[in-house]
Amino acid sequence: MTNRKLKDFGLNPILGYLLILTSFLVLSIYLFHKTEFAQYAYILISLALTAKLSEIGRNDFLKLCFNNTHYKLIRIAENFSVTLPFQFFLLYKQSFVGSVILVVLSLLLGLSSFKTSLNFTIPTPFNKKPFEFTVGFRNTFFIFPIAYILTFIAISVDNFNLGIFSLLLIFIVVIGFYPKPENEYFVWSFALTAKQFIIEKIKTALFYSTILCLPNVLTLCFFYYTNIVSLLAFYVIGCVFLMTIIFAKYAAYPDEMNIPEGIIIAISVAFPPFLFVFAPYFYTKALKKLERFLI
Amino acid sequence: MIKVTVLTKSYGIKQVLKNINLTFSEGNVYGIVGENGAGKTTLFRCIAGLEDYQGEVKSTLEPLKNHLGLLVTEPFFFAKITGKEYLQLLCNARKMKIDNIESRNIFDLPLNQYASTYSTGMKKKLAITAILLQNNKYFILDEPFNGVDIQSNIVITEIIHKLKELKKIVIISSHIFSTLSVTCDEIHLIKNGEFIKTVKTEDFSKLEAEMKEITIANKLEKLELI
Repeated sequence: MTNRKLKDFGLNPILGYLLILTSFLVLSIYLFHKTEFAQYAYILISLALTAKLSEIGRNDFLKLCFNNTHYKLIRIAENFSVTLPFQFFLLYKQSFVGSVILVVLSLLLGLSSFKTSLNFTIPTPFNKKPFEFTVGFRNTFFIFPIAYILTFIAISVDNFNLGIFSLLLIFIVVIGFYPKPENEYFVWSFALTAKQFIIEKIKTALFYSTILCLPNVLTLCFFYYTNIVSLLAFYVIGCVFLMTIIFAKYAAYPDEMNIPEGIIIAISVAFPPFLFVFAPYFYTKALKKLERFLI
Repeated sequence: MIKVTVLTKSYGIKQVLKNINLTFSEGNVYGIVGENGAGKTTLFRCIAGLEDYQGEVKSTLEPLKNHLGLLVTEPFFFAKITGKEYLQLLCNARKMKIDNIESRNIFDLPLNQYASTYSTGMKKKLAITAILLQNNKYFILDEPFNGVDIQSNIVITEIIHKLKELKKIVIISSHIFSTLSVTCDEIHLIKNGEFIKTVKTEDFSKLEAEMKEITIANKLEKLELI
């Protein structure tokens, strides 16, 4: 399945695995370099990944296909392989106790199954214009209080840059609501032209992201009124990025964004003025793609 | 009116719909019957404009898609969207303002729950409610009775009668003949992408008997059940 996903993304699976491994090593080194609590975070991250394999439906299917002994062996082997890279890194960092704890817990998880998603409805202020913010907010709601706390810390330690970081954090999360293409039915249903459709999407995105940024922006404006221009500049860049991602999503629609779009976006992240070239390019392409579904 | 003229659809070299000519008039309910893979769903997607095709689909109200309530066989739902938000999304899509969603929830669905947690039948009922709230003029219902409980089947049948009374055009596909015989004015039989027969109300029982004979033939004997 991972092979197929990598192929769909336009990556050779071998290259994909190399990239995943490199990212894993870089992030692990960074984590251990940054904090002394790294091994605890590491165990938690690893267990969170294995917990996904304990989902009830998936386990019921395995139980139907295999007898009890084989099922348990499969589950233990699955969990063991997922945690293996983490175990190696913990051993490399000479965290022997951590490594043993991880092995034991992952094996215990292998013998259990539970629901991995919550069934109760998380309230959202974005239910009038579904679906991106409605779904996205429910998936990431815990990040927004963290961003606001960071703004508070930024003010208490008098660090404007930390405040900007908390603003960008909100934008990064919001941008993450958009890349996945929706089922074509939800584009086709709109009684709008391609241009009206895109404008509607942009209006909703900007309005709702502004609501999320408002506590942060207003507080920073109040305490750093001399830096108001740079603060607004970051807000505008965030908005332009958000717009560009929406354009890029529909430029690839109904397919998922792929390597070409990814490269262009990466260039824009490195050098934001390019956004003013790429955004119109994606916009024009998006209109063409959407005309297939919207008259 | 919806008029389909010489509609042809191919996937590569395989022709899945061949020179389809159909006319659907206001205040009538049409049934489309055929085996799995005969081309029913593809025809619906072509009429809706979700597929490219050769030929022409014209309607009194243009563009057709903006007046069409399309119920797909397996409606798609986002992971964390409630029933109410799903209805809101589809009403927003047609610029419809609805303040009384709860009172129009005729299937008594738990609208504040995530739609993805609904059973197959509940999902279908939610999708039906959504296209009804859109106040469409035309309806394509691809297997509306599938997976739905008996009580709701009765409600759906009555809804179709009401739509007919309101002079809407309703096109239905179903694998349950009895549901078509009580709702349709005309049934079209499709086989391998071609319409081979059109039957009016008075001949429905004859058609059912014919289909039974052709479909079953000596298949049961082949099973050699003891």
